[in-house]
Amino acid sequence: MPFLRLDNVVKRYGEHSAVQGVSFSAEKGEFVVFVGPSGCGKSTLLRMIAGLEEISDGDVLIDEKVVTHVEPARREVAMVFQSYALYPHMSVFENLAFGLRMVKTSEGEIKRRVAEAARILQIEALLQRKPRQLSGGQRQRVAIGRAIVRNPKLFLFDEPLSNLDAELRTQMRVEIAKLHRALGVTMVYVTHDQIEAMTLADRIVVLRAGLVEQVGTPTELYDRPANVFVAGFIGSPRMNFLPACVTAATDGQLTVSSPAFTGGTLTVATKGAHQVRIGEEVSVGMRPEHLELRTARPVLTLKADFAEYLGGASQIYAQPDGGALMTIVVPGRPPISKNEDLPIGIAPDHIYLFDKQGLGI
Amino acid sequence: MMLRRLLHGLGLVVVLCFTLFPFYWMVSSSFKDQTDLLASPPVWLFTPTLANYADIFADEKVFGAIVNSLIIATLTTALSVLLGAPAAYALARFDFRGKSDLWFWFISNRMISPIVLALPVYLLALQMNLLDTHLVLVLIYLTFNLPIVVWICTDQFRSIPIELEQAARLDGANQFTIFRKIYIPLGLPGIAVSAIFSFIFSWNELLYALVLTRRSVQTAPVIATSFMSGYELPWGKIMATGTVIVLPVTVFALLVSKHMVRGLTMGATK
Repeated sequence: MPFLRLDNVVKRYGEHSAVQGVSFSAEKGEFVVFVGPSGCGKSTLLRMIAGLEEISDGDVLIDEKVVTHVEPARREVAMVFQSYALYPHMSVFENLAFGLRMVKTSEGEIKRRVAEAARILQIEALLQRKPRQLSGGQRQRVAIGRAIVRNPKLFLFDEPLSNLDAELRTQMRVEIAKLHRALGVTMVYVTHDQIEAMTLADRIVVLRAGLVEQVGTPTELYDRPANVFVAGFIGSPRMNFLPACVTAATDGQLTVSSPAFTGGTLTVATKGAHQVRIGEEVSVGMRPEHLELRTARPVLTLKADFAEYLGGASQIYAQPDGGALMTIVVPGRPPISKNEDLPIGIAPDHIYLFDKQGLGI
Repeated sequence: MMLRRLLHGLGLVVVLCFTLFPFYWMVSSSFKDQTDLLASPPVWLFTPTLANYADIFADEKVFGAIVNSLIIATLTTALSVLLGAPAAYALARFDFRGKSDLWFWFISNRMISPIVLALPVYLLALQMNLLDTHLVLVLIYLTFNLPIVVWICTDQFRSIPIELEQAARLDGANQFTIFRKIYIPLGLPGIAVSAIFSFIFSWNELLYALVLTRRSVQTAPVIATSFMSGYELPWGKIMATGTVIVLPVTVFALLVSKHMVRGLTMGATK
């Protein structure tokens, strides 16, 4: 039995639907990440699981119990907010103890549990301080600590790292992953940052406009994106897309043509997901890190525009005749001059095809 | 540029004189004897006397009136905050039918000139046998103060991040606990400001106090005017009483002026 289940969950605000029937389940101890662009409904979905947002239709089940209309506090979930939501007038200790006091925990037990959470998060020295006396990272730890002390069945994180600077974000990301390993509790994490999603998740739910686009492990989403949206969203820098036209279709293979291809055509193996007709327009997807520069057997010929040297790797921007700019990620710092012809190669199993509706072929 | 600043400064001096002169006149007159008071043209330099103060402090009525004012202003303030703060919380955080109408009604209470209601309120009080009681003044001041308390506190409560309430709900706090443990401590500046306004209004109010009281519940502003009789105008006593009434609230207002300005501009900027 799944530990958390969303059953055709809908959220309507008047005429507008923020979440349009999402079904999904998570196993006990799983780390699930909801990812998607702003306004895709991921935070709304999380708040519906927490009970902070009324559910217009459908059901939420936690530990096999329907909690759709259950008060937030009785769902045994804890949530870490983007803004931390620490009580500014209370000390760190009181912030951590607040939830325990609400359920009439004994003073001794409160002290023991706060001390335990403080030890895990290394905030023992901060217990008497007020939130305003803490740095961003310390506040974040306290916010997580407030969730830990209550021993919840389910942890919910609403973009918890988006207020932190890049370095601290990486550090806290690792700590959250460690915490998940140490506690073994089911966690649902919302972010718009696909790197956070890829590094933390056991499974990722990609959302767009209130609908689930794909659910899968990070590698599944990366290797086998279901559609153009997921292909473009997962992976950084994002996947390059080239428009092309189907010229031949044999069993398991498609030949597509575009002026960008060396020789004008390219033959790609398909997954056989569904049929495409000759003459149909398709998108050819290639990840920047899969493209090889100045290869002996080029698939594309692009004109160099400019290069960004990142130290160990470089991002090169180049475009086919009359086409959109493509990104190529290569190791080292190869010299690139503007308008130079770049022969580009790619392994055949790294080429993705999408039909006119954007679905993977 | 220089001329503009000069004109601006001059304008401020004019406004300041216009505002402060009556105060100066009241305070200085309270230290004059009757001859100096009635001198024409007025005397600017005089030998100060405390006789007027000795007179009014010897008068039991003045002391009684100050006690009455204290009782009424304190009770009104306490009730205004006690009733207004929860109402403000509801208006700030809950959605319910007629919320915007109710909000407008609260504000519109302050749009009407008090004198318009003086006669109907007098007749109501007469019929209910409430004339010359503390209760009638507390009730009528409450009517005028509640909108201010609700107005200021709603604004203050709205500025408290909603996530704090949601975090508390997840922590298991009920609505009342959230109000008590989150909104009251964090909204304290707004609550304090509204209480200050409420107290000052109740302390200074003259019109209703004059209309609704007779002998036993006269407030301080009423007693100041009561010295005027058909044959006598004891300006010295009137001015000394006026000074005694105004002094505590003026000192108090100066002490908390920073908060009061904040209260007045609450919600003006995001």
